[in-house]
Amino acid sequence: MLKYTLKRLFQSLVTLFIVLTVVFLLMRLMPEEGYFGEGYEKLDVAQREAILTSMGLRDPLAIQLKNFYASLLKGDLGTSIIYRPKVPVAEILKTKIPYSIRFGLAAMIISLVLGISLGISMARSKNRFWDKLGTGYIVFINAVPAAVYYLFIQLYVTDIFNLKILYHPKIPSSWILPVASMSLGGIASYAMWIRRYMVDELNKDYVKLAKAKGLKNKSIMVKHVLRNAFVPMAQYLPSSLLYTISGSIYIESLYSIPGMGGLLVDAIQRQDNPLVQALVLIYSSIGIIGLFLGDILMVTLDPRITLEKKEGAR
Amino acid sequence: MTNSKVILSVKDLVVKFNLRGRVLTAIRETSLDLYEGESLAIVGESGAGKSVFTKTFMGLLDGNGWIDSGSIMYNGEDLAKYKTEDDWIKIRGKEFAMVFQEPMTSLNPLKTIGNQVEEAVVLHQGLKGEEAKKAVIEILNDVGIQEPERRYYQYPHEFSGGMRQRVVIAIAVACKPKVLICDEPTTAIDVTIQAQILKLLKNLQKKYNLTIIYITHDLGVVANIADRIAVMYAGDIIEIGTCEEVFYNAWHPYTWALLSSLPQLGVKGEPLYAIKGTPPNLFNEIKGDAFAPRNEKALKIDFVKRPPYFDVSPTHKAKTWLLDPRAPKVEPPESIKALRRQWKGEV
Repeated sequence: MLKYTLKRLFQSLVTLFIVLTVVFLLMRLMPEEGYFGEGYEKLDVAQREAILTSMGLRDPLAIQLKNFYASLLKGDLGTSIIYRPKVPVAEILKTKIPYSIRFGLAAMIISLVLGISLGISMARSKNRFWDKLGTGYIVFINAVPAAVYYLFIQLYVTDIFNLKILYHPKIPSSWILPVASMSLGGIASYAMWIRRYMVDELNKDYVKLAKAKGLKNKSIMVKHVLRNAFVPMAQYLPSSLLYTISGSIYIESLYSIPGMGGLLVDAIQRQDNPLVQALVLIYSSIGIIGLFLGDILMVTLDPRITLEKKEGAR
Repeated sequence: MTNSKVILSVKDLVVKFNLRGRVLTAIRETSLDLYEGESLAIVGESGAGKSVFTKTFMGLLDGNGWIDSGSIMYNGEDLAKYKTEDDWIKIRGKEFAMVFQEPMTSLNPLKTIGNQVEEAVVLHQGLKGEEAKKAVIEILNDVGIQEPERRYYQYPHEFSGGMRQRVVIAIAVACKPKVLICDEPTTAIDVTIQAQILKLLKNLQKKYNLTIIYITHDLGVVANIADRIAVMYAGDIIEIGTCEEVFYNAWHPYTWALLSSLPQLGVKGEPLYAIKGTPPNLFNEIKGDAFAPRNEKALKIDFVKRPPYFDVSPTHKAKTWLLDPRAPKVEPPESIKALRRQWKGEV
C-alpha cells in the first residue's frame, strides 16, 4: 500500500510538472498588454520592450521556465498587474480562499449528508413514494439549468423568508441561501449515484446470503451494501468535493461573495496574465490532487484493486 | 425413517407471484414432511418450483411473491403466518440455513472470509472477540480449508470457486442450524470438486446433526447422498419415497420420463431419450395431472381430475391415477421395467 501510494504520488508530481509547464508556455502566447496595466497606449515600442525585458520576459524560454519554477518553489506566485496592481497574487488569494472554503465546506457537508441519506432511502423504498419523490427532484435539478433555479431562489425565496439578497459578512442568515443553492446539485448527484449503486448491490447474491444468515435488513445495508456501493463512487468523490470547496462562479457572483469563484473569469477578461497563470496552476493542482486521492480511496475500499504486481499473483 | 421425528411439516402450500400484473401459481397445494436427521433431495427440471418451495421456509421469497394458503409447521409454529422481519430473524440461520448455487458471487467481495463467517458465529453462537475467531477457524478447518489462520484474513477473490463454496457452507454451518437447505450446491462447481463438496456435506451432517434438503436437477448427485427423493413437477411433489424406491420402483409417468432421460439408462446406439413438450404455463389454471399433456400414455381422467397421493409403501407415495385400483394396466418404459427387475432381484 505504501509503495503504491508513493508511486502514485510520484506520478501525480510528474503530471503536475507537465501541466504547469504547458500552462506556462501557453501563457507566453497571451497578448502582451496583460503585463502593462493602464497606460499601455501611452508607451512607445522602446518603453514597452524595456518593461518586458525588466520583467524577464525577453529572456530565452528555458531561462524563463527555470525562473518560474525557482520562484514557485519559494511560494512566489507572481504579482498582479491589472486586477490589483502591484499586489502579490498570493496576497489576493489569501483574502479570497477562506470565503470559498467556508461556503464550499458547508455546501459539501450538507450535500454529502443529505445526498447520501436521500440515496439510501430511495434505494430502500425502490419504486415507492420516497424513491419517486427523489427521482423527481433529481430530474428537476438535472433538467433545469442551475442559473435558472439559482436566480429563482435569490429573487423569490429571499422575499418569502425575508432574507438578505446579497451576502453580508456581519449577517449570519445571509449564508443560508448561497449554501443551500450550492448544495442542491450535489445532493441530487450523490443521491442519484448512491441509489443506483445500492440498487445494483441489493440484487447481488451476497445480500441473499447475508439475509439467509439471519442479518437484519438494516445491518445488511450498513455492513455489506453501503461500502460496496461506495466503491464505484470512490474514484471521483474527492475531485468533486475539492471542486465544491474551490468556489462556485455563479453563486459567488450572484450573492457577491468575495471568493475565488469569479476570480478566474475576471482575471481572464481583464488579461491579468500573472493572476491567470497562478489560478490555472491552482485549479489544475486541485484536479490532480483529487484524482490522486480518488485512487488512494478506491484502493483502500476495495481489496481487489491492487494496481501493483504481487509476488505469485494469478 | 418413519420412526424419527417430523421436524417440518408443510401442508397444501400455495405460493403465488405477481409478474407485471399477472398472477402465477408457483407452488400448487404441495405437502411435505421432513424427518429429523435425514437427507431429502428435491429433484425436478428448471422452473418446477424447487427453490421457491424451500425459500418459503426462510421467508426469502422475492418481493412479488407470497404464500396464498397452506401451512408450514415448525416447532409448533406456522411459518406461513410470519409476516415481519422480526419473525423471520428467529428462523433464519438459527433454525434453517441455506447454501446457494453461485459461490462466485455469494460472498461479499469487500470483507475478509473470516469476517463473514464470524458474523454468523457472533449472531448465532453469541461468541465475541478471540473466542469467535477461534470458532471461525475451527469451522473453516471443518469445511476443509487449509491454513485457516492465514485464510481467515483473505478476501473472496483470493479463493477458487470450490473453496468459496466451502466458505459459504462454513457460514451456513456456523449458524448452527437444524436444517440446511442446499440449493444446487454443486451446479456451478468444477466436476472434479463436486464429489468433494458432497462428501463434505455428508461429514458435516454427521458432525453437526443436520437435516439436509438438497435441491438439484442432477440425479447423479441425488443417488450419492439422499435418503429420500421428492420429485417435483409444475409446483407440486408428484412422487416421494426412499432413494431406492424412487430410482428402482417409480410410479409416476414423469418420474419414468425423468429417469429414462438419464444417459446411463440409454441403450447403446439409440438416441438419448428426451421428454417431449414443455412444462405447463403456470399462469393458467392446471386441470388434472399437470404432466398429462406431455404423457403419451395419459389416461382420460388425467386431463379431468387431479390425482391424490396413492401409497406404494409406507415410505413411498405418488400422485398418479395409475396407482388407483380401477386404473387400466399401463406398462412403464422398457428401461424402467429393467430397473424394477434389478431391484426385485436385489431385494
